[in-house]
Amino acid sequence: MSTRWRLAGAVAMISIVAAACGGSSATNAPTTAPTTAASTAASEAPAGSGSEAPSQAGGGAPVTVDWWHITTADPGKSDFQAIADAYTAAHPNVKINITVLENEAFKTKLATSIQAGDVPDLFQSWGGGAMAAQADAGALKDITSDISSWASTINPGALSIYQYNGKQYGVPWDMGMIGFWYNKDAFSKAGISAPPTTWADFLSDVSKLKASGIAPLAIAGQDKWPSMHLWTYLLLRIGGGDNLSQMIQSKNWNTDACTKAGDQVLALNKLDPYQPGYKSAVYNDEAAAVGNGKAAMELMGQWAPSVQMDQSADKKGLGDKLGWFPFPSVEGGAGAPTDGVGGGNGIAVGKDAPPEALDFLKFFNSVDNGNKLNTDNVGLSTTVGTESSVKDPNLQAVLAGRGAAKFMQLYLDQATSPAMGQAINDATVALFLGASDPAKACQAITDAAATQ
Amino acid sequence: MTALSRARTGNRRSKTLAIALFLAPALALYVVFVLFPIAQAAHFSLYKWNGLTPLTEFIGLKNYQVALGSGGFVNAFGNNLLIVVLSLAIQIPFSLALAVMLNRRFPGRWVFRLLFFLPYVLSEAVTGIVFRLLLQPGAFVDSALTSVGLGSLVQDWLGDPAIVMLTLFVIVSWKYFGFHMILMLAGLQGIPKELEEAALIDGADRRGAFRYVTLPLLGPTIRVSVFLSVIGALQLFDMVWVTTNGGPLNASTTMAIAMFKAGFKSQAMGYGSALAVLLFLVSLVVALAYQRFVLRRDTDGALTTFGG
Amino acid sequence: MATSTSTSAPGTGADIGAATGARSRAAARRISVIGVTSFVVMLVVATAILVPIGYSILGGFKTNGQLVANPVHVIPDPWVFDNYREVLVGSFAPTFWREFLNSLIVAVVAVGLTVLFASLAAFVFARFAFRGREALFTLFVFGLLFPSAVAILPLFILVKQVGLSGNLLGVALPQAAFALPLSIVILRPFFRAIPAELEDAARIDGCSSFGFFWRVLLPLARPALATVSVLAVVGTWNAFLLPLVVLNGADQWTLPLGVMNFSTQYSSDHAKVLAFTVVSLIPAIAFYAVAERQLVGGLTSGAVKG
Repeated sequence: MSTRWRLAGAVAMISIVAAACGGSSATNAPTTAPTTAASTAASEAPAGSGSEAPSQAGGGAPVTVDWWHITTADPGKSDFQAIADAYTAAHPNVKINITVLENEAFKTKLATSIQAGDVPDLFQSWGGGAMAAQADAGALKDITSDISSWASTINPGALSIYQYNGKQYGVPWDMGMIGFWYNKDAFSKAGISAPPTTWADFLSDVSKLKASGIAPLAIAGQDKWPSMHLWTYLLLRIGGGDNLSQMIQSKNWNTDACTKAGDQVLALNKLDPYQPGYKSAVYNDEAAAVGNGKAAMELMGQWAPSVQMDQSADKKGLGDKLGWFPFPSVEGGAGAPTDGVGGGNGIAVGKDAPPEALDFLKFFNSVDNGNKLNTDNVGLSTTVGTESSVKDPNLQAVLAGRGAAKFMQLYLDQATSPAMGQAINDATVALFLGASDPAKACQAITDAAATQ
Repeated sequence: MTALSRARTGNRRSKTLAIALFLAPALALYVVFVLFPIAQAAHFSLYKWNGLTPLTEFIGLKNYQVALGSGGFVNAFGNNLLIVVLSLAIQIPFSLALAVMLNRRFPGRWVFRLLFFLPYVLSEAVTGIVFRLLLQPGAFVDSALTSVGLGSLVQDWLGDPAIVMLTLFVIVSWKYFGFHMILMLAGLQGIPKELEEAALIDGADRRGAFRYVTLPLLGPTIRVSVFLSVIGALQLFDMVWVTTNGGPLNASTTMAIAMFKAGFKSQAMGYGSALAVLLFLVSLVVALAYQRFVLRRDTDGALTTFGG
Repeated sequence: MATSTSTSAPGTGADIGAATGARSRAAARRISVIGVTSFVVMLVVATAILVPIGYSILGGFKTNGQLVANPVHVIPDPWVFDNYREVLVGSFAPTFWREFLNSLIVAVVAVGLTVLFASLAAFVFARFAFRGREALFTLFVFGLLFPSAVAILPLFILVKQVGLSGNLLGVALPQAAFALPLSIVILRPFFRAIPAELEDAARIDGCSSFGFFWRVLLPLARPALATVSVLAVVGTWNAFLLPLVVLNGADQWTLPLGVMNFSTQYSSDHAKVLAFTVVSLIPAIAFYAVAERQLVGGLTSGAVKG
């Protein structure tokens, strides 16, 4: 019952995101005409930069702030450390105890810690269903009033992902949209002049890439979620955003859109488009396949270039050869071609967090730090006024996509409860691995929803 | 007379005290860190619980119903069973054969003994990581097969649901056969050489001497080895977790993996606890049956009490 | 004994001496054939063990390019020392040595407790007759059926409640507890096999129960204790799941956690992963090299025979 509420909440806030992102991101594309939103954003920028000199919150008594994050790769990892060091240098009484965890280890550890009532003060969060469950468990601190003085410096749509039942439990620092990252050289070698804009074109391009001797698309069969996003996009394009929200709320996934999305996955499977070893691949393997030029595309979020770089043999990735295009439209589908699947990273605040933790959070989201994360390609900062520091043309395209989306679906496995997310991942990866059929997948998700 | 009886009473009291004192540390540690958590798991399994909220939603045996029905426990159990069967059919005889070979004197014997046991001391994490690298498509194993003209044997070792369990069996055997081999080698060395020699002199051939003299005497060791192997196969976790995460498509999900995934991935702690209890019950039934029907002969003799 | 079972003995000759001679020659020939076959089998098995280990060791001396370009060409060309250097003395060294030290602390505490507590308990189970003994012993045997993975959640809550979360003791104590059953099962028959006459003699010499245990039994049981210690060290040193949930920060991690984390963090940097993995193997292999004689000695002197 409470889960149902949670889902409804998640869906509601995502539609807010859509509207909100549309406004703020217009500022970062200099070529587009200025909008009214731009001026609002600009006027708020000084408030953001004001946090460069954080107010002395702790008096002087020694305080330790525990912070768990999952940015294991550089430059993000050292950026985070540098931000923490800068803060503690200005506040000698504060010690920031950083724990860097690999994603899966983080999730395991966080669950047990919350259960035991020993929650870190600040920790990685994606908002959505998992955060709602943490809030229900009393693990999070309601920071609505604590951040009210600087909440307006954060992109409101992204901020709303970290709200639950009207209360703020965390703050985003990164928000983007999933799209196709592709190898331009591989495309031109296959005789493809421009990225596909329709699904039919996409499929024919896949055939061309395959014929040119490269694996067209990299996925990760063991980690499951990368291919789940592809399925979500098909669902979104075929049935439309309202239809998807409806499915989440009604818990009935036995819909026309769901089976049709599955049919298209099978149509894609038929082309045998995936990289060798995709069935047992983890996400890093997928990124390596693209970064090393062994696969032509992956459907992934804004972090893709940095991970590709990190995972490639020469640590350079594809560089200039890397391009981005939004998920193509599906002929006859009800969804708008601008609708997106997205999400990002944020920091949730643990129930016992001292005021210094919140002060640090404010400092972390200052314009300077946001600019730093943008220029280092660690993420797409959600701090208002940082948009112009995104120099990479691909990330500018992502940012434009984030801005253009009228409807933004938070990653399905995060918008829903963890158990539901697992069920969706399991059901969809079975489609991609050729071990299921569309009707069976929709039924499996419906069955899982019924037990929630 | 009186002095003696007094001494005896004193003895009895000091004996009770000694038993209590000697047993207390182990018992305390064991009860607190092993038995109590088991009881807790049984308790949690009766609730619908995400592991975060307070324990309030009592649902009786529903978790067990789901597990045994659509919940995939049966599939996981099947995977464990496959490893059990393969271990008994291949790993144990293989270990025994190697132990017999190593029981002879020949130059360099110690090198082999040292080598064969070596994998056992490596951690599952390390073993899993190394094999994962070796078995990547196009990596060492595939290239090696191709280069000796066996390219047709190349498989998606960890990605093909049809063979992933066989691959895991090989990895698990790689790590554990040495342990069983050493157990059996120890057993063999405890059998007086004269017995086999006597059989040979009496006209038995080597195979006969082994089959009718050595093997029966090795019985207790083999039975212990089989027991440890079966229990290990039923509780298989670390190696699978590191190499495949239970994938692809749950094709290598064992009971312990299913339990861990339910508990920590789906945050269905109540359900995960139910799986834990089921895993425990399966192990228990197997162990009791084994004790009752197989090990009994060995323990019957051993349970004579010594004085004290 | 099994004389009547000579089913395939070659014909029963009249001249017994000649027959025996022929038979033993035939037997010798057969033995050498068997010997050669088994030697080949052992060589194959040895190769199967050495290849993954050798591949890892040599792989650490390669670049990723070399690893990918020709996986079968095992000898690095050229040899690259950067990977190992980085792990042993370079940027990963502090991580590695810290994890090594943590593993060492956990192992020493856990194994110390296991051996001491288990031998005390096994002594009672082996040499005292009292009501409920077998029931209590069976209770410990049940522990063999219960890997720590199964109880990991309640175990974690418990560790937290007693204030040991994020403390190496929080790993060592449960590890010791879970190592008790196997240790007791191994030690009991060994203690039992020590002749009662020795105990009587000790008593006449004025030994208390503990005195007998400490001064007579333990020294005699040294091989069995070595076996138990080695098994406990292996179990503790390699434990993965319990440290993962109990220990908080990376600065408390033990080696298996470090290796796993390293391999996911640098998952495509195979050469570096191999180097880190190999270096993390060294303590286990070094320990094994030292303890191997003890272990096999303990086992062969009858410690594990049901």
